[in-house]
Amino acid sequence: MLTREELAQKLKEYGQDQVKNWVLRGSNQLQVNVDANVLPRIVGYVFNDLKARLITTVGTDRTPDTGWYEISYIFSFDWDNIILSITVEIDPEHPVVESVTPIIAGANWAEREVRDLIGVEPRNHPDPRRLVLADDWPEGLYPLRKDFPHNFKPEPVPGAEPPVRKAPENTTVVTVGPFFPTLEEPACYRLFVEGERIIDSDYRGFYSHRGIEKLADTVLDYNQVPFLAERICGICGFVHSCCYCQAVEAAAEIVIPDRARYIRTVMLELERIHSHLLWLGLAGHIIGFDTVLMQSWRIREPVMWLAEAITGNRKTYGMNLVGGVRRDISPELYPKILETIAGIESQLREVVDAIIDDTTLIMRLKDVGCLPLEDARSICVVGPTARASGVEIDSRIDHPYAAYPDLALTVPVFSAGDVWARTLVRLHELFESIGLIRQALEKMPEGSIMAEVGEIEPGREGISVIEAPRGECCHYVITGPGNRPYRWRVRASTYPQLQAVPTMLANNTVADAPIIIASIDPCFSCTERMETVDVRTRKVRVYNRNEVVEKSRREYRGGEN
Amino acid sequence: MFSSKLKEALLCLRAGRVTLPYPFVPQAPPEGFRGKPEIDGELCVGCGTCAMVCPPRLITLADEGEYRVLTVDYTRCTYCARCEEVCPEGAIKMSNNFETATNQKDDLLLQVKMKLARCSRCNRPFATQRLVKKMAQKTIGDQGSGDTVPAWVSWCPDCRQKYEARILGRLGDVEDD
Repeated sequence: MLTREELAQKLKEYGQDQVKNWVLRGSNQLQVNVDANVLPRIVGYVFNDLKARLITTVGTDRTPDTGWYEISYIFSFDWDNIILSITVEIDPEHPVVESVTPIIAGANWAEREVRDLIGVEPRNHPDPRRLVLADDWPEGLYPLRKDFPHNFKPEPVPGAEPPVRKAPENTTVVTVGPFFPTLEEPACYRLFVEGERIIDSDYRGFYSHRGIEKLADTVLDYNQVPFLAERICGICGFVHSCCYCQAVEAAAEIVIPDRARYIRTVMLELERIHSHLLWLGLAGHIIGFDTVLMQSWRIREPVMWLAEAITGNRKTYGMNLVGGVRRDISPELYPKILETIAGIESQLREVVDAIIDDTTLIMRLKDVGCLPLEDARSICVVGPTARASGVEIDSRIDHPYAAYPDLALTVPVFSAGDVWARTLVRLHELFESIGLIRQALEKMPEGSIMAEVGEIEPGREGISVIEAPRGECCHYVITGPGNRPYRWRVRASTYPQLQAVPTMLANNTVADAPIIIASIDPCFSCTERMETVDVRTRKVRVYNRNEVVEKSRREYRGGEN
Repeated sequence: MFSSKLKEALLCLRAGRVTLPYPFVPQAPPEGFRGKPEIDGELCVGCGTCAMVCPPRLITLADEGEYRVLTVDYTRCTYCARCEEVCPEGAIKMSNNFETATNQKDDLLLQVKMKLARCSRCNRPFATQRLVKKMAQKTIGDQGSGDTVPAWVSWCPDCRQKYEARILGRLGDVEDD
């Protein structure tokens, strides 16, 4: 196992003088400051040779503070519990940085987001279209710069068009969206098809970019942000408020009471149960198998009632504050919790037993929407999507938080990478979550639920990751003056997954597009705080048009390939 | 294949109908439910702590003439219960009421008007009369009634500060002597 000191030493040896200095933070963070001109080399070394996974990049306007724009490339060393940020300082007079997307496909959106919001241009980016900002947002206005007022509304540019990609020759464009069918959320896919087969696709999202990071950096205080964070997502809200609080706690070195750690764990797992059951129902609905929708949502409802009894609301629990949780789980509720999850367990077994051999279901899901291991790694996907493609990662084990270090957990991993594998991962995880809640209640320590939190010193940094139902969610906080964050960055779990969708769609049929897109359990609102666009997949690029035509014709004629 | 279909059919038949007949049969929320926060206008002292913590900033305090007005705009309430948590007077309680839909926007607006106290030295209105009374009770206890009330109780923070400064200054003079 690599230690942070050894890693820093390795980077220093590799980068020599251009690796300037390094800082250790909290229990698992390492920050290394490097020269901007050596960045692609270092990033390539970390990603290709040291096999780290890119979580996201964070752009911060620190001109009032240090005089620079700062970009941090945050990597996870999943086997060594290290979160590495490689930080470069960018001259505000020449806001340009060499793009690392040619090295890591998964950096695509994050780099464009930094460009849209801070105004640092990624040089040689393969797809430099606008991602987060609205089409009619004026050029040259960067909302996350510190001199940009949070309530400023620029005049829309008349006649602005979305930055769509040109369809490949001889293909027809089938548009799915701008409202996604069945998920009722704004997202627009343009499928480039030839006959029934999808050749490539293009995505435009971020239709409801809400600017909440700006709001936290300028208006809200530390304990108001959790309630905003909770509203990033209507399903995994607790994940976001908890992840934010953990980031601030890491920055300010606040140790929360043990009981609060356990209560957070119980709520996180309850949230996973209702999220996966919701997904299972939706997936059934999308392929026209409404029995699954009805039955899994029937099983789900008692979880919502349980959450209501514990927190006072079926969603948006409002439980987290910096330093702990607001409401205790009274021991009188334990039997009710155990009874509810036992009921879910037995009923879920019945459903799984009924559907697991259903040939209709298997034919619709098996070998559909494949994401090969190497693509899963280069796009840096997370959660069930990654685990279905053979990537063995789970933040609960890799970067343990809350009560997870004390609990036993098995992580299901499948290698097929298709929609069926993603379904199986989630089904297994449901049973795991039930087991985790039992363990947590059994080991639940007595004591207080909220730590004393004094004034938080400005200029400290914290990164927190949480395994959300959809995959790893990451929050990054720089503390600031005025009792509020100087910078708060959210990377929700759908962000990397959506970038993998074109790979999954390629060479599938139009009829399978809705279930493939839904198979990542997309939460469009998670992403919409930021920006996006999409990319031609590596898999598609290796075929030229004629090869693809020939291949698809051959498949049509010959059936099985 | 056939056995799966059979199991699925049995599952549906066994589960039967689970949809509740709401709203024809009312649903009572569980204990500890966070419904619409009710504000007891009699207990509120206008200290403004709730307005300070409210995440969506829907509770505001403003002075209108001789009154300090607490305004609650329920249309934006997220039912987080932070106001209930911080209220020092226990004037805010989360109710069981979740059926707040209305076609009259005014139904979702609540105001508490509290008379302002004027400073007996500079005559500036500085806090609600209730708050002044409450603070006096808390700081001087039972003496806070009748003729025994010390004069400074009705002074604004600025005037108290100036007074304190003058006393300290005089102490300094004494030492100089």
